[in-house]
Amino acid sequence: MALVLHATRTNKNGIKALIAAEYSGVEIEMAKNFQMGVSNTTPEFLKMNPIGKVPLLETPDGPIFESNAIARYVARLKADNPLYGSSLFEYALIEQWIDFASTEIDPNIAQWFYPRHGLKPYFAAAEEAAVRALKRALRALNTHLASKTYLVGHSVTLADIIMACNLYLGFLCIMTKSFTAEFPHVERYYWTMVNLPNFRKVLGEVKQADAVPPVPSQKKPAEAEEPTREPVRSKVEEEVAEKVEELEQGNKLYQWTKVDISDEGNRESVNAMIGEEDAFEGEALPDAKCFE
Amino acid sequence: MALVLHAGNTNKNGFKALIAAEYSGIQVELVKNFVMGVSNKTPEFLKMNPIGKVPVLETPDGPVFESNAIARYVTRLKADNPLYGCSLIEYAHIEQWIDYASMEIDANLARWLYPRLGYMPYLAVAEEAAISSLKRALGALNTHLASSTYLVGHSVTLADIVMTCNLYLGFSMILVKSFTSEFPHVERYFWTMVNQPNFHKVVGEVKQVDSVPPVPSQKKPVQPKEPAKPKEVKKEPKKEPAKPNVQEVLEEEEEAPKPKPKNPLDLLPPSKMILDEWKRLYSNTKTNFREVAIKGFWDMYDPEGYSLWFCDYKYNDENTVSFVTLNKVSGFLQRMDLTRKYAFGKMLVIGSEPPFKVKGVWLFRGQEIPKFVLDEVYDMELYDWAKVDISDEAQKELVNAMIEDQEPFEGEALLDAKCFK
Repeated sequence: MALVLHATRTNKNGIKALIAAEYSGVEIEMAKNFQMGVSNTTPEFLKMNPIGKVPLLETPDGPIFESNAIARYVARLKADNPLYGSSLFEYALIEQWIDFASTEIDPNIAQWFYPRHGLKPYFAAAEEAAVRALKRALRALNTHLASKTYLVGHSVTLADIIMACNLYLGFLCIMTKSFTAEFPHVERYYWTMVNLPNFRKVLGEVKQADAVPPVPSQKKPAEAEEPTREPVRSKVEEEVAEKVEELEQGNKLYQWTKVDISDEGNRESVNAMIGEEDAFEGEALPDAKCFE
Repeated sequence: MALVLHAGNTNKNGFKALIAAEYSGIQVELVKNFVMGVSNKTPEFLKMNPIGKVPVLETPDGPVFESNAIARYVTRLKADNPLYGCSLIEYAHIEQWIDYASMEIDANLARWLYPRLGYMPYLAVAEEAAISSLKRALGALNTHLASSTYLVGHSVTLADIVMTCNLYLGFSMILVKSFTSEFPHVERYFWTMVNQPNFHKVVGEVKQVDSVPPVPSQKKPVQPKEPAKPKEVKKEPKKEPAKPNVQEVLEEEEEAPKPKPKNPLDLLPPSKMILDEWKRLYSNTKTNFREVAIKGFWDMYDPEGYSLWFCDYKYNDENTVSFVTLNKVSGFLQRMDLTRKYAFGKMLVIGSEPPFKVKGVWLFRGQEIPKFVLDEVYDMELYDWAKVDISDEAQKELVNAMIEDQEPFEGEALLDAKCFK
């Protein structure tokens, strides 16, 4: 039985496993007809992951969730995988940077991006804190990378795969050149990684956001379902609207706490999806531009 | 060399490594005299962890940061450690629950707890979202534990250690019985874990909090404990169980937003010079700049309350591209933003061809370059600084020339002049 990954092909969290698989000579199939917000709300799926998040890997020995854990499993399928370094200490450093990528980089990018994308309520103070925390993290990362090509040792490890995938969402959707210019070593690192053959194979061509998505209008909260809100909707907004609709269908399986920030029915649904970050993370928008 | 853990003795993130060490027969010592907010700001510490967070483990091969990574390393020091399961899939599931404990449990607990303790801005909607996410996560965990004593397999693994430490923060600080009773299997799991000998040895007696910390009053922002004096509840295993030092855990999560400490410059004796008046004069003088603005400057200048400084960029040979050089200066001025109340500056980029020279003149409140500027603005060390001797006419004239963007400046054209005001 092959390994089956339940995710969309453009989900940066699924991409971690796919790139690890390329390096490790492991075969992974994508689950057929996977629909975000639908496929992951079925009872069968919830048996595999009770919290219903994505990605999820089906293996001959059972299902695994949490994108980093999946990537680790894939890497360990190959004995003595160089992705895991060549000593215990290197292993520790690889885990260190995997965790750093997940606790310092990823959540702060998400906290900045999702509210602007209309997927979470926007608060200027919260955004400010997130951007500050992100800069602090990028500065530390920049310092580390000043004299290094790879995070650990002298070749790609699992830490680079996860870090690059987490940075990918940022670079693509919200971190413009003027933002990242303050972290030149991180820039060099990022472009080197995404252009490595095994990364390119999975990610395709990678671009950088040229503008920060605007703050959603406070009067009319992002009404993803109303096509008449914007005279011209970018392809991106349409995709988001689709996903929101998909997720709404899944919402009936959950109990919701009413969030009192607006009386828009769909706003409620969006808020309730706040925990469903995995649903949106790294849905690499095929049109590299985010909101203009 | 023993393994040395830099953390306080009530930091739940440090507990992870210590408990793993107990199970694995590994010796981990806590560093002596660790003071949260002080020990982790030294240059030596930042060399070990550039982001300055805690815990950090010193090993014979080098330092490791990130609490989960440290716990993993300690675990792997013992070959075939049962903490890591006995098959590849068990390993994967252990990693799965470690990540789940961090992303789904810990992150949401933090977003609920820290604002109520005054360490992060409190927003009711954000708190509701965090609680909702936490409930969702605990619900799924509860389902998983309905038929399991341990997260993976039939004995304690690293997943249980990490999960329990993260839950510990919750149970002891904010999750009351009426909240956790909705997740009875999680309750059973938690109390079983913390009473295992190796857990108990490290964590001590654990009591569930009986009330949720109140929402901080909006008028008086809660003053977080002074980092220099962490309020560590002495561990008295027989009496009160030690409360986890949230300040410490916080330092791993967020810098406690220090309630604007009094700037020492505000405590200086009042000066007759009002910085804003000079800035207004500078900005509003369109003609006869020398006679009006420069003269006005020296009329209002108070050498007791303020000082003037020349700065000279140390690495002018790097300035080979004009716009890059200009950007460097812009960046410097942006980072000086926090000194706006206390400073005025002019930066000149000099020369008609590369390498361009960057020089400036700065007016600072006080007799020295303010320490908080040297600490917070890293560009400062890229320049040589020299106090202006205003009794020296030549130096005074140089100040004037810089304030008025005189061209030619020292015989050269000016590429640009930027003002900080």
